[in-house]
Amino acid sequence: MLRGLRTPDPTRRTENYFGPAMVLPALLGLGLFQFYPLVSAVLNSFRTFNAFTKRPTGWAGWNNFIEIFADDVFRNAVLITLIYIVLMIAIVVPMALGLAILIDKRMRGTALARAAILGALASSEAVAALIWNQLYEPGTGLFDAILKSMGLPEQPFLVSGPHAIVSIVVMTAWKDVGLPMLIFLGGLQAISPQLIEAAALDGASSWRIFRRITLPLLRPSLILAIFMVTVAAARLFTPIILLTQGGPDGQTTNVPFYSYAQAFEFSSPGTASASVMFMMVILVGITALQAFVIRDSNDGGRR
Amino acid sequence: MNRTPSTARSGTFIASRRSVLLGGASLIAAVAAPGSRVLAASPGSNPGKYKADLGGYIGPKLSDAPMTLRVLRQEFSPEINAPIRAAYTAFKEAYPNITIEEERIPYGDLAKKVQLYVASGSAPDIMMGSTELAPVYSAGKIAVPLNDYFSQDFIQDIYAPLRESATIDGKVMCLAWESNSSFLYFNRDIFKRAGVATPPEVIEMEGGWTADQYINALRAITEKARKSGDQATFGLASSRFGNRGPGSNYSQLESMWVRMMGDPRAPKDSTAYKTFAGISENGQIATGYLDTPEAIKGMTNYQTLFKEDLSPKGIVADQYKGGVAATDFSSMAFANTFRSQGAPFDWGVSPPLRGAIGFASNVADAPFIYSGSPHIPEAAALLAFLLNDTNRRAFYAARGSMPSRQSLTNEMPEYKSDPVNMLAANVAAGAYGPPKSVGWLDYVNAVNPAVKDIALGVDVADRLHTAARQVDRLLVKYR
Repeated sequence: MLRGLRTPDPTRRTENYFGPAMVLPALLGLGLFQFYPLVSAVLNSFRTFNAFTKRPTGWAGWNNFIEIFADDVFRNAVLITLIYIVLMIAIVVPMALGLAILIDKRMRGTALARAAILGALASSEAVAALIWNQLYEPGTGLFDAILKSMGLPEQPFLVSGPHAIVSIVVMTAWKDVGLPMLIFLGGLQAISPQLIEAAALDGASSWRIFRRITLPLLRPSLILAIFMVTVAAARLFTPIILLTQGGPDGQTTNVPFYSYAQAFEFSSPGTASASVMFMMVILVGITALQAFVIRDSNDGGRR
Repeated sequence: MNRTPSTARSGTFIASRRSVLLGGASLIAAVAAPGSRVLAASPGSNPGKYKADLGGYIGPKLSDAPMTLRVLRQEFSPEINAPIRAAYTAFKEAYPNITIEEERIPYGDLAKKVQLYVASGSAPDIMMGSTELAPVYSAGKIAVPLNDYFSQDFIQDIYAPLRESATIDGKVMCLAWESNSSFLYFNRDIFKRAGVATPPEVIEMEGGWTADQYINALRAITEKARKSGDQATFGLASSRFGNRGPGSNYSQLESMWVRMMGDPRAPKDSTAYKTFAGISENGQIATGYLDTPEAIKGMTNYQTLFKEDLSPKGIVADQYKGGVAATDFSSMAFANTFRSQGAPFDWGVSPPLRGAIGFASNVADAPFIYSGSPHIPEAAALLAFLLNDTNRRAFYAARGSMPSRQSLTNEMPEYKSDPVNMLAANVAAGAYGPPKSVGWLDYVNAVNPAVKDIALGVDVADRLHTAARQVDRLLVKYR
C-alpha cells in the first residue's frame, strides 16, 4: 500500500455538504432578523425621510447625530440611562446574591421561594408593569393604601421624577432578579464544600468565609451578573412606556424610550436610528469591557 | 377555518347569526324610526341610481372585476359593530365581486397603526382617521380628496365646523363619522349633598359656567366631601379620553383649558388671538401661541384641579358613571347610556366652560380613502354606502352618538325638543376645530406629556415654554 495516498472518505464528503446545510436556516434567520435590521438602522441613521410616508428621501450625513446631541431631551435620556444602570446594579446584584445564598442553604420554603422568583422572571413584562402600575396608582393604589393605613403620607411613586425612577427600578428588580440569582446559584454550587469546611475548622467566622472564600470564587458569576443587569438596564423600555410614558417632565425617559418617541410619535426615523446607533455603540463598549475583564480574570487564574 | 366576526381581528368578513340578528334589529329600528326617510333623496340617500344606496357617491360606475377592499377601524362593542357588519353584508349582496376585509384594533392604537400602514406602502383602502389630521392627509398626499366622489349636497350637510376641520384648500380629506363635541355633565345628588348650586341648564353654547365658577364649585364640593369623611368622591372625574388620566387627549379634551382663554375675534397680533389659534398661521411655530400669558392662566386653572385634589392624578375608571365624581365632560354618549340603561343618580348637563369664549373641540373620528388604494372609486362607494342615511341611522341608534350630518339630526324629534340633545346640537354647531398644522401629530404628542406634567405639579409657564420650543423644533422637518 502506498503511504500518503489518501482515498476520499465518503462520510466526510457528505458532511462537507450536510454541515453547511444544517447551519443555513439559522444563518438565514440571523441574517433576516438580526443583521438586516442592524444594517438598515445604520443606513437610516444617515438618511433623511419623508415625514409623512417615513420613506427615505436622501442622505443626511451626520445631521441626525448632530440633531440628537443638540437635543436636551436626548442628553438627559443618556444621563437617565446611566442612572438606571447604576441603580439596577446597586439593587439587583446584591439582592440576587442574597437570594442565591439563602436558596443555596436549602432551608424550609426554599423551593417555594425559588418558584416565586422564577415565576416573576417568567411572567410577561407588560403584565407585570400593568400590575405594578395599579399598585403605584396615586391615592388609590395598594402602596398608598398601606401607607395611609399606617398613618404615613401618600408617596408620589410615579408622579415625581426621582420617585418614578426608583419605582421603575424596583419593579424591574422584582421582575428580573431571578436571572442573576440563577447565575449566582450556579456559582455557589460550583464552590467545593471542602474549602468552606476547612476554613470553618480553622475557626473562620461565617462573614470571613464569605468575604475571603465565597466572594472571590464567585467573581466570574459576579462579572456575568453585572454584565447581564447592565444590558437589561440599558434596554429598559416596557416599564417606562407603561408606568410613566417617559414622564414626569421627561425624568424617566431613557435612550430606548427616546428612540421610540422619535420613531413613532415624532415621525423622525432618522434621529430615532441615530439614537439607536449611539446606544448600540455604548452597549458594544460595555460588552468589550466585560470581555476584557473576564479575559483578565481567566489569565489570572492560569498564572 | 371557521372564524366569527367577534373573534376575527382581520380577515374576510363572515356574518355570524348574532351579528345578523343585531344588525337586522338595528336596521329595522332605523327604518321604523319616526321621521325616517330611507327612500327619500336626502343628501345622504341616493336610492335607485346604483345597485345599492350609495348615499352621497357621485363617482364613476363601479368595476365588475373581483376585488378585495380592506377597511381599518377601531373596535366597538358587539352591539355597535353589528350595524356595520350588516352594512357590509348588504353591500356584498349588491356587489358580489367586492370582498370586504376588515381589521379592527383598539382605539388608542389607531393613529400609530395608520402611520405604520402608510409607511409600509400597503395600507387598507379605507382607514379610520380623524378630522384633526386632515392637514397631514393633505400635505402627505395620504388621502384621496373626496370632492370628486361625494356630492356637494352631502358634504354641505356635514356640520360646518366638522366640515371645515376636514377641509384643506377646499378639498375634503375625510368625513366625520359622528359628532363628539363635549359639554359638562354633573351629578345633581353630589351637588345637593354639598349644598352647591348646579351649573346653568341652558342650551346655548355660551351659557355655561366660567372656569373660575366651575373650580369654586368643585372646591366647595370636595371640601364638604372630605369633611364628612368621604375620600372617594371627586369634583371632576378622571379623564376617559385616549389612554385615560391627565394628559390623555389634548386635542379633544384638555385643549379647552387653554383655548377658552383666547379669542378668535381678537386682533391677529394679540396674545388673545394667538392663544386661541394655538399655532402660527403657517402651522409651524408654537412659541408665542401655546405659551402666552392667557395659555399659562388656562393651564394654571387646569393644574388647580389636581393640586387641590379636585380631580385624581391617576386613572380611575368610570368615576362619573359610578357616581363618585360631581362632573365630567362627554358628548351625547353619556346621556344615551343613562337613558338606555338607567343612571344610578340624578344627572344634568350644562354648556362647555367659558374663559374669554365658551369652548368645545369638534375633533371627530373620520374615515378617509388611502391614496395608494388600487380601487379608489369602489372604496369611495363603500364609504358612501356606510355613510348613507339608513346605515348611519342604524349606527347612531346602536352607538348613541350624535350624527355628524345636519339632515339626520333634523329628522330626529329629540334634537328639537329634548334640552340635552338640543345642547349637543348647539355645541356641535359652535365647536372649534384644532389648530391646522401638518405637524399636528408631533404637536399633540409633545403637548400631551406636558399637560400630564402640569397636572402632576410642574411649573406651568416653564413647561409650556419647553413644550412650545419642542414643537418648534419638531416642526422644522415640515418646512
